[in-house]
Amino acid sequence: MRNYIIKRLFYSVIIAWGILTVTFILLRIGPSSPVDRYILNIAARGSDVESVRQAIEARYGLDKPLLEQYFDYMGNLLQGNWGWSFSASMPVMDLIGSHWIYSFQLILLSTIFAILLGIGLGVLSAVKQNTRFDYAASIFSFIGISIPNFWLGLMLIMAFAVNLGMFKTYYDTSYSIWSLENLRQLILPVLALGTGELAGYVRYTRSSMLDNLHKEFVTTARAKGLPERTVIGKHVFRNAMLPLVTIIMFDLGSVVFGGAYLTEIVFGIPGLGQVSFNAIFANDYAVVVAVTLISTFLVLFINLATDILYTYLDPRIRYE
Amino acid sequence: MSDAILKVDNLKTWFYTRRGTVKAVNGMSYSLNKGECLCLVGESGCGKSVSALSLLRLFDSPPGRIVEGHVLYKGVDLVNCTPGHLRSVRGKDIALVFQNAQAALNPVFSIEDQMLEQIKVHYDINNRAAIAKAQTLLEEMMIPAPERALKMYPHQMSGGMKQRAMIAMSLSCDPEILIADEPTTAVDVTIRAQIMHIFRRLKTSRNMSIIFITHDLSLVREIGDRVAVVYAGKVVELAPVAKIMEEPAHPYTRGLISCLPDISSNLNRLPSIPGNTPNPLDLPPGCAFHPRCSMAMNICSSNEPFLTGIADDHMVACHLYNARAGENK
Amino acid sequence: MSELKEQTRKKARLSVYFNKRLASYYWERLKKHKLAMAGLGFIGFLILLAVLGPFFTQDPTYSDFNIANMPPLGFSRQESVYDIKTDEFTTTVISGRLDHPLGTDSKGRDMLSMLISGARISLLVGLIATGIAIFIGSLIGVLSAYLGGWVDNVLMRFTDIMMTFPFFLLLVLIVFLFGPSLAIIVVVIGLTGWTGAARLIRSEALSLRTRDFITASRALGASDGRVMFNHLIPNVASLIIVMSTLSIPGVIMAEAALSFIGMGDPLSTSWGTILNAGQHTLDTAWWVAVEPGIMLFLTVLSFNFFGDGLRDAFDPRAII
Repeated sequence: MRNYIIKRLFYSVIIAWGILTVTFILLRIGPSSPVDRYILNIAARGSDVESVRQAIEARYGLDKPLLEQYFDYMGNLLQGNWGWSFSASMPVMDLIGSHWIYSFQLILLSTIFAILLGIGLGVLSAVKQNTRFDYAASIFSFIGISIPNFWLGLMLIMAFAVNLGMFKTYYDTSYSIWSLENLRQLILPVLALGTGELAGYVRYTRSSMLDNLHKEFVTTARAKGLPERTVIGKHVFRNAMLPLVTIIMFDLGSVVFGGAYLTEIVFGIPGLGQVSFNAIFANDYAVVVAVTLISTFLVLFINLATDILYTYLDPRIRYE
Repeated sequence: MSDAILKVDNLKTWFYTRRGTVKAVNGMSYSLNKGECLCLVGESGCGKSVSALSLLRLFDSPPGRIVEGHVLYKGVDLVNCTPGHLRSVRGKDIALVFQNAQAALNPVFSIEDQMLEQIKVHYDINNRAAIAKAQTLLEEMMIPAPERALKMYPHQMSGGMKQRAMIAMSLSCDPEILIADEPTTAVDVTIRAQIMHIFRRLKTSRNMSIIFITHDLSLVREIGDRVAVVYAGKVVELAPVAKIMEEPAHPYTRGLISCLPDISSNLNRLPSIPGNTPNPLDLPPGCAFHPRCSMAMNICSSNEPFLTGIADDHMVACHLYNARAGENK
Repeated sequence: MSELKEQTRKKARLSVYFNKRLASYYWERLKKHKLAMAGLGFIGFLILLAVLGPFFTQDPTYSDFNIANMPPLGFSRQESVYDIKTDEFTTTVISGRLDHPLGTDSKGRDMLSMLISGARISLLVGLIATGIAIFIGSLIGVLSAYLGGWVDNVLMRFTDIMMTFPFFLLLVLIVFLFGPSLAIIVVVIGLTGWTGAARLIRSEALSLRTRDFITASRALGASDGRVMFNHLIPNVASLIIVMSTLSIPGVIMAEAALSFIGMGDPLSTSWGTILNAGQHTLDTAWWVAVEPGIMLFLTVLSFNFFGDGLRDAFDPRAII
């Protein structure tokens, strides 16, 4: 098991390095340079544009050959230096350090919301298969997975913020992160981001429960005289969980990040999504690479965590 | 008989599917005496397994439903008792051994977990006592190193070990009645011998009442006291083993017996009963066996025969005998 | 004689891919699936709209500020104008008109013609990008499963890396670098969206590879290519069809999301582009944000329904 984890970690570093390299190259062969923003301002003031550009490029090593810049960047990264953000005029680390919490909080809350409610509804729906409740849950989950989360966000803002006035129409950054006021203004973003997830989990949970509900060991459990609560909640659910864990973790890694970044834009939440989109538009490559790298590492970490969690859930699985 | 501990009376379990009503159990009647082994014999699909599940209402419902009949155990009808009472009978008074231990054991829980949850639900005892009880049972089932076996998961055990663990589990609350649903079908020959040995011992040492479901008449000879021959969801003949083997009355039983391979005869071809088991969606009218019966009469396709005694301990449902009984009167 | 032989052979090969009786059997099964048929109906309607619509509606880019923010037919809105001379508010009621049945946006463009243009773009992007993605995915999946060994290893590691990439960031990044044209958006979504298909098809083909009929055809001396094209691919065909249908919603949503954050093709009007404009007029002209969202939602829902029905129709175990 330990060897397996070490192998996986090593493998993760390789993947992350590959992604970093691709992103770096993509950004540096792009048509514009991170200095362009500065130049634009200077040009307006009528100074000597070219000499200023050269000075700035020399200052940040942007005049060196691409390969040398790449090695410089890698060297700095290994020393814990993530580079300089031109658009925010601060070290990338500081920029990310002050914004990550918004994304983290949004993803955390919507995931908890989606998992708890989604699994609960899915289990109920499977147990009450072919009842009116089951049909309602099915229709709801079809709607949920088909509704674009950014549009749902807009509609929620329109209904509850603009028309009913229950929420502010902008995100107020003056509250402290875990204060009640801040959590309250996260209700709509969490609904917008969480509904799609929730709907997916209802579907997956339902079908996974149904797959296991008629297995022979369920009859055994009933024949043993166990109460129905234990039969469903323990024997069926634990087996149904196995495929669910993979799906939920995969969703968390791939779908949630993209969705969270979009949701941030809709609601004006200053998280990593905003930061990275702004950075892309400003060609601020150090920030883009950093955010990409962090997202990648998170996905890889989640994958590894899934595998480890699996060995606890399913005794049949052992890694070499 | 007075010492019957379980009485099944005209039990009907039907399944309402999209393609029609499957009358899996269609008027089953028999009784089980204390300390006796009653064998339910029949071809696959004749409803013997469903009838076993019906005793404890363990079939999937919907689509299944008991439409008629009674299962009397200790003066209570298990067909319409409260769910709470039924739960207290399941696993405690009447226990089941399934055909395929591989599928019947939950793959993600250890044997200990699965045995203890049953013991704890029926007895108010602490963990240590429950573990001790489980170990004794595994020992009784001749499982080597019981304390280690308890910690195992089903996939770590061999097929025979799983089947024995399954039997140990069903015995964990000292049931009055054990229902064994083809317990040797999914295992190979050597393990079959072990399992049969265990069942014989249960009868002698625990004086267990057993309902043994099988399609294999050689096993019946080995363990059974009485036999109920099942055809199309009904008992067609009920008699002690020796009587069934020596003088089978129902044409179907006669067919079954003649299909038993006999070492002394050297036939080139094994005899078989012509035709197929009837489609449970569309049972023939009258006696369900009449399309395959070589002795069918006019009445067989119109009237249903009822189980009637032709001797003290020999009952049969066939117009051949019903008619004769009528003549005698 | 040999010509006849050649023809029979050709026919036989075709019949591997299209068997009329089998097709009608699947169609009968699909027809029983009410939601799938509803989905198919809407998709058909959408295609008609996209093809014929432009002949009956005006240019979606034509703007007339005199009729800006006109509500849809059957709705009305009040406009208050402050007159500085009289120091009074004059309130006029503007109601929907037949020549702009779905209203106009803040620049006075006709919503109906914009939505029809959006339908064209969504369908175009959805079909072409899915086609590219499924083609690459099938190729990689089948090759990987069939050739095994180091080829499988390399292809699957490559798939892993692609899967770990923060998909939406990558999308935004590439579109930003190479310019937001429809062609680039389609190609980029296609080139990045094949990973799931590759994995699924690989595992399906792997399980087929060990089946008896493949072994039998090998034993009869069939070449690798023959086994792959005559046996493997026809047998994963149903999976490919289902997956293509179920991939289209994701692609359509990705395009809409890109346009929504302002990375769409500026020369064409897609639903995302309209939404982008509509988000600023939630209080004055709600229909600009509501209408394209509903279209997007219904389109995605239809493809999900249809794909779900197809999956059931192809699944011999499913009871319909």
